[in-house]
Amino acid sequence: MTVLILTSEEDVTADMVVAELHGMGTPVLRLDPADLPGKAVLSADYAHGDFDGHLSVNGHVLSMSGLRSVWVRRPGEPAAHAAHPSPWLTAETRQALYGMLHSANARWMNHPRNADQARLKPWQLRVAHLSGFAVPPTVFTTAPRLAREFTEEHRDVVVKSASGPPPDDPSLALPTTLIGPDADFSAVGAGPALLQRYVHKSADIRLTCVGTRLFAARKTAEPGQVDGRYGDTGHTWQPVPVPDRIGKSVHEYVTLAGLAYAAFDFAEDEDGIWWFLECNQGGQFGFVELETGQPIAQTVALWLAQRRADRRGG
Amino acid sequence: MRPFTLNYASPRGLSVAVTPYHFDPARQLNVLPDGRPAVSDPDLLLAVGTTTSTAGSATHFDD
Repeated sequence: MTVLILTSEEDVTADMVVAELHGMGTPVLRLDPADLPGKAVLSADYAHGDFDGHLSVNGHVLSMSGLRSVWVRRPGEPAAHAAHPSPWLTAETRQALYGMLHSANARWMNHPRNADQARLKPWQLRVAHLSGFAVPPTVFTTAPRLAREFTEEHRDVVVKSASGPPPDDPSLALPTTLIGPDADFSAVGAGPALLQRYVHKSADIRLTCVGTRLFAARKTAEPGQVDGRYGDTGHTWQPVPVPDRIGKSVHEYVTLAGLAYAAFDFAEDEDGIWWFLECNQGGQFGFVELETGQPIAQTVALWLAQRRADRRGG
Repeated sequence: MRPFTLNYASPRGLSVAVTPYHFDPARQLNVLPDGRPAVSDPDLLLAVGTTTSTAGSATHFDD
């Protein structure tokens, strides 16, 4: 039975899992949907009373009857590398590829339906509340007056993007930024703003959940540091135990969200409370494993290779 | 009018460094010039920053 990994060729974090699967003797097919059609070939048929399908790329072949699991890692847009790409060709190719994969009896990390929902930041906060996490007061609004009132009430407030930097301008970064009530909020009417009470943190926490396994890492923050992703503070990620209460909330969250994999970001305050910031359903983990030695790639590989009946133990 | 959040954008400082590995279609992973898998050199991966939480954010917002 074969593991299908949907990702780009330059994704070295996926390499960490491919290497583990190779070591376990588990067959792998690594495919970037951007290479379909062209370098990759697809065929699905319903001609003989049952469904069957095949994918091939770089001399490797996968039959849908032999598909154990699908890891949706960093896939390109279908048909993005085609000789004559177009939105229509992308839509047609998406239908063919994902329609075929959804028809197979495989499990997903993560299922696209659940992944799409899990990316929605307002929904994340709702699920985090239901799961028992501490969540900082937050507002999403297109009303300048409400943005100003929220900031006046909470004073130290950060603005952050819900969807990340503009995809059409790779030269731009959108780090989480501290603002004050003196900011000009008139532009809030031109696009939804995500404002959140700033947590005066002593550390960033990254907790990676793979099936039922949890890996937490802590990086000391500099005084007044806002976005730990940008700027080198000289501190490194260190493995830390997961508090029981946090572990229960994580399991509640991934159960509600239907996620097999999730990377949680917390801000640890001076009292040691872990404040939920967000949950990235496809969050990076390579940098954590490389600094802490936590066997995250091996755990992902084991989850992907397991039979369905064994999954609960993973 | 420029959306409020974009008022806090900053230059990413795109790296011009070339990654010292390339994809091997047969092995389905990236390899170093001497044929070893790139993942066998953790120090190198940390140095090039391709596994960090901002890597790939230009096309994926799953940090």
